[in-house]
Amino acid sequence: MIGLAAARKKVAEILASVRKDGRRELMEFESKQVLAAWGVPVNKTELARDVGEAVGRAREVHYPLVLKIASPEIIHKSDVKGVKVGLGSEFELRQSFSELIDNARAYKPNAKILGVTVQEYLPPAREVIVGTLQDPFFGATVMFGLGGVWVEVLKDISFRLAPLSVDDAREMIHELKGYPILAGIRGAPPVDMDALIDIIRKVGQLAYEFPEISEMDVNPIFAFDEGKGAVAADARIILGESK
Amino acid sequence: MTPGGVKAIFEPKSVVLVGASGVKERAGMAPSMIFRSVIHNMLRFYKGKTHIVDLSGRVGTAVKSFRQVPKKQDLAVLVLPPKLVLRHLRKLLDRRVRAILAITGGYTREQRGELLRMTSKQGVRVLGPNTIMGVINTANGLCTIFERDIMPQRGNIAVISQSSGVGAAMLDWAWFYGTGISKFAFMGDRIDVSEAELVEYLGGDKDTNVICVYMEGIRDGRKFIDAVQKVVGQKPVVVLRGGVTQGGRQMPSRAASFAGQDKVFGAAFERAGAIRVHDIEELFDVANALAKQPPMQGNRVAIASNVGGPAILAADSVYREGLVLANLSDKATKTIIDRYPEVDPVNPIDVATDAKAERYEFILKQVLADPNVDGVMVINMLKSCLLEPEGTRILAEVARKFKDKPIVDVSVGGVDHVLVSEVLKGTNVPTYNLPDKAARALKALYLYGKIREKVTRE
Repeated sequence: MIGLAAARKKVAEILASVRKDGRRELMEFESKQVLAAWGVPVNKTELARDVGEAVGRAREVHYPLVLKIASPEIIHKSDVKGVKVGLGSEFELRQSFSELIDNARAYKPNAKILGVTVQEYLPPAREVIVGTLQDPFFGATVMFGLGGVWVEVLKDISFRLAPLSVDDAREMIHELKGYPILAGIRGAPPVDMDALIDIIRKVGQLAYEFPEISEMDVNPIFAFDEGKGAVAADARIILGESK
Repeated sequence: MTPGGVKAIFEPKSVVLVGASGVKERAGMAPSMIFRSVIHNMLRFYKGKTHIVDLSGRVGTAVKSFRQVPKKQDLAVLVLPPKLVLRHLRKLLDRRVRAILAITGGYTREQRGELLRMTSKQGVRVLGPNTIMGVINTANGLCTIFERDIMPQRGNIAVISQSSGVGAAMLDWAWFYGTGISKFAFMGDRIDVSEAELVEYLGGDKDTNVICVYMEGIRDGRKFIDAVQKVVGQKPVVVLRGGVTQGGRQMPSRAASFAGQDKVFGAAFERAGAIRVHDIEELFDVANALAKQPPMQGNRVAIASNVGGPAILAADSVYREGLVLANLSDKATKTIIDRYPEVDPVNPIDVATDAKAERYEFILKQVLADPNVDGVMVINMLKSCLLEPEGTRILAEVARKFKDKPIVDVSVGGVDHVLVSEVLKGTNVPTYNLPDKAARALKALYLYGKIREKVTRE
């Protein structure tokens, strides 16, 4: 991780460039650049503007990999069949590249398409979500929950105001009804709690220091077994109305 | 701005009460009637000097002009429509008042802005406008409400309310049940003095041991949290919030749909160390316990009851609140059996239906002295038992001897509860008509113990 001052500068630069582009929503790779600069582990995510570049990036990222459409106008990538997971070879990569572009074009013919992101594939893990919001009364606030149906249907989520102490973050995790899933049931080992605590605190600190980040969803985060860390696999940062 | 300004709102040495008895009644608001009722209450209860200014010149005890009021008054209470307030504000400020309590509502945005501009220029603090009921201080008799002849019992619970309607309900509640009150404040529109400043003031108020807050929104959330954090080391803060069920807005990201929602308030109260309640009854149940009894240092509760069934219900309530039943030590168990072989000393302890004050006293002393016990819930039925209402007075005597462990009382039912309440009223033992309420009170005492521990650790 780079120093705090450098991280602040880097984040501010990315946010400014998005604003300059007339946008309020960061694309996935931009959101991940922000998180990476801030010390939050993300899976390797590289933008490739054409198929040749994608093949080149694939050598840095390593197979198997994930391919996702990159367009500022396409928010829900899986809705437009814009995601391919577990590509094992250059052949599959080339085929998937044109498929993703075609799918995006079919969905939105005039959409501005930057290309694709070539991403590191993460092995299955328990999934959690960390989000932030700027509350009108209390400012930067952090949300934590289990991914998938847990947050979707059961609304099993906890909140704390940023910035958070280690105890605050630990309590957020313990508070969930689904906590035993993270602690490990039926012989499963616990997830890497320290890694989650670190991510929760860092994401909270980011929202606290940059109130212009009006919303952020880091979702899903892959929580690996104890000692093996946790990695953000997708992220969404939205900026507030410019002042 | 001087912090003394907030103090002047509650502890003025002298008050200028301004109204206009000739103002015509408007829908929903009757300034003339209100003005006359506030005059009535101030003259009846307030121990300081009240100067009455009636701009209409009709009230006999009043003067007509500000010039007839001596300079340097601590507090001006304004029972005037907004237009008249702004028209006469200059003359009032020339009298060099330190604070203003603006009773009437109906201000436009511009009028609020004008009021704030003119007062803040001179460092005059404003509570309101739209406080409707204003302020009560049971110590000096300050009473700006317009319900005639209502003055709650003197005590150490302070209440501040954002809503005058909920505030009025709480006032009526406290008045009816004889709850000991130190201060009452209706915040109104909060153009100047905020929740945070009121909490800060009450934190330093020697007459207040428990601070209760009713809020819906909040002016400066982070300042409120800071103020509560600073206070809870010395006295507990209990919060009731309205508007908890308002649905979230649809937002692009999942987290943001919770902006302004109750979950975030919950997180804020958690950080601040405030104890949260969910209705007015619970607010006073909990506040009474906190005002009268020490925090509970652990989660182990002993129940002592002269009837079996209610003790079983009480045990359920204890567990429902996340507390547990204590296992009595061998020493306490043996001491109790040696003296009263008919008593079953397994918690919940059945002191038997023929128990009178002496047996309660002996057993409670053993239980409170037991290191395995953190707090005690006493149940005393009168019906079908030999205990007389007067016998419950022993609880207050026992409680006085064990100042480090809480004791709360339950007299289940209707008449029994009223009879026991009459005896225990004004003592240090809170009494409830259901074990659920007593368990919640113990839970609050436990939470406050933890909050205080956390604050002193930091």
